[in-house]
Amino acid sequence: MISAHGLTKRFGSQTAVDQINLRFVAGQASGIIGPNGSGKSTLFNMLTGHLPPSVGKIEFGELDITALPPHERVGLGMARTFQLVSVFDSMTVWENLVLSTGRFADRGSRHRQFFFGPARSKTILEDCLGALERVGLQDKAGARTSELSYGDKRMLEIGIALSLKPKLLLLDEPLAGLSDHEIGDVVDLLHEMKQNCTLVIIEHKISKIMGLIERLSVLNDGVLICEGEPESVLSDPEVRECYWGKQVSNAEG
Amino acid sequence: MAFIAVAFLLLTVIMPMHWLTDFAVFCILVLSFDLLYGYMGRLSFGHVLYYGVGMYAASLALVHLAPNPFLAIGAGIFASAVLSSALGFIVVRTEGATFALVNLALNQIGFWLAMSGLQAYTRGEDGLSSSVRAIGFLDFYKVPVAFGFMLVCLLLVFGLLRMLTRSPFGILIRSIKENEERVKFLGYDTLRYKWLTFVIAATLAGFAGTLHALVKGFVAPGDMGPLENARVIFAVLIGGAGNLYGAVVGGVVFETMINLLATNIARWEMFLGIMLLVLVFWFRRGITGYIADLAQKLSRSRGSPAERMP
Repeated sequence: MISAHGLTKRFGSQTAVDQINLRFVAGQASGIIGPNGSGKSTLFNMLTGHLPPSVGKIEFGELDITALPPHERVGLGMARTFQLVSVFDSMTVWENLVLSTGRFADRGSRHRQFFFGPARSKTILEDCLGALERVGLQDKAGARTSELSYGDKRMLEIGIALSLKPKLLLLDEPLAGLSDHEIGDVVDLLHEMKQNCTLVIIEHKISKIMGLIERLSVLNDGVLICEGEPESVLSDPEVRECYWGKQVSNAEG
Repeated sequence: MAFIAVAFLLLTVIMPMHWLTDFAVFCILVLSFDLLYGYMGRLSFGHVLYYGVGMYAASLALVHLAPNPFLAIGAGIFASAVLSSALGFIVVRTEGATFALVNLALNQIGFWLAMSGLQAYTRGEDGLSSSVRAIGFLDFYKVPVAFGFMLVCLLLVFGLLRMLTRSPFGILIRSIKENEERVKFLGYDTLRYKWLTFVIAATLAGFAGTLHALVKGFVAPGDMGPLENARVIFAVLIGGAGNLYGAVVGGVVFETMINLLATNIARWEMFLGIMLLVLVFWFRRGITGYIADLAQKLSRSRGSPAERMP
């Protein structure tokens, strides 16, 4: 689905990500773990086009997308969520979904409706409410987004990503900052999404997604130190040493 | 929209009609600025450049081609659209203070061109006079006719912008204001839409410039001086940025104050300075912002949450 070849990112003299080779297989769910500052988010930012890599190549299917800007990657079927939840606070909840459900950026889309049709039209509202229903927020469609709880905002953000109908969804710590109850909701949703979408998940709370993922990659100091089946990766001595050694409480929480 | 028409007509009772004619033109300029600043969050210190381009293009068309008002309007719109399309490619790549100052720099260059660089065409500081031939009942020298025409133009621009800002495109530019990076990850090429919004705003400013040339019959570099931007920014802040009614209310309130201050006090600029301080520190959301707050409070104390559904 998506693969990184010798991907490297340097910030000045600092190497945040060092020659990573990774392949995420279509239809699978993969996890990425690693201590804070190990380069997980930097890797994500390169895969999604947020940051240009210093060296290396990114392929989406057969296509070289290393130089492709973010919006074109979305057009290919890639969507992401952010470590700190990122939704539009100044708008109402349903307005957050107008741009993603409408897909007005697509070629040959409805320009007339995009520029001159009211956003608050029946078809657009129905699409937005449908997307909100998937994440259980339909009752809050008219609320101000700034008034939502953090968990609801996370659900909304995932709802926005889902409404792009992605083939590949990258989630950057989707469970961070959520209550146990909310974690359950998000994990259930991830299980459901897995049916028709390739998932890549950065997550510290690895125990919560063990039942979900088929592969696990471990980063440390910008280097990929281990990759494979989640169970065997977690029992790898090197992983235990550099990851579990430092972050037992966090990782098991 | 009917509210604006009625308000302008009612104001004719207490104000001279030629004031209101000027107000309507100024309100179009303020509306165009509000699209760029209030909705898309891009503060320009050089927006009147395009007002000036429209104004000179219209005057030159009247002088050299034919004294036809529609030809002048066409020329002004065309010139400001072409110039903003070209310069837009550069300016929308900048953000924040750079955006404001790049626009200011371009405005300075335009001002200099009108003042001396293109003096042969603009007559520099002396200004350029033009005259318009009447077409049927449309005689710009008759004050009520000019007033009516400008009011219709204001309503047309207001209607167009209302359509644009209520559409998904309106949501897109508000999204760009709040978090441009995020919008890219919804699949939108933000540069393209920022360019488009810049061109629409500049072209409407150019349209306001042509109307100014038509109604005054005289244009001078001072009308497009960089200081003129301050008036537009003031007006938007008074009315409330990011609200089309706010732009119109702000435009009328500001111009009324200027006209009254200027007739009663010799040096009135200080009062503007004080007013700006008040606006920035205590009155951030402008007149319409506070009216909206009040309305929301009232409806909340009365209505149930269900009424807030879309």
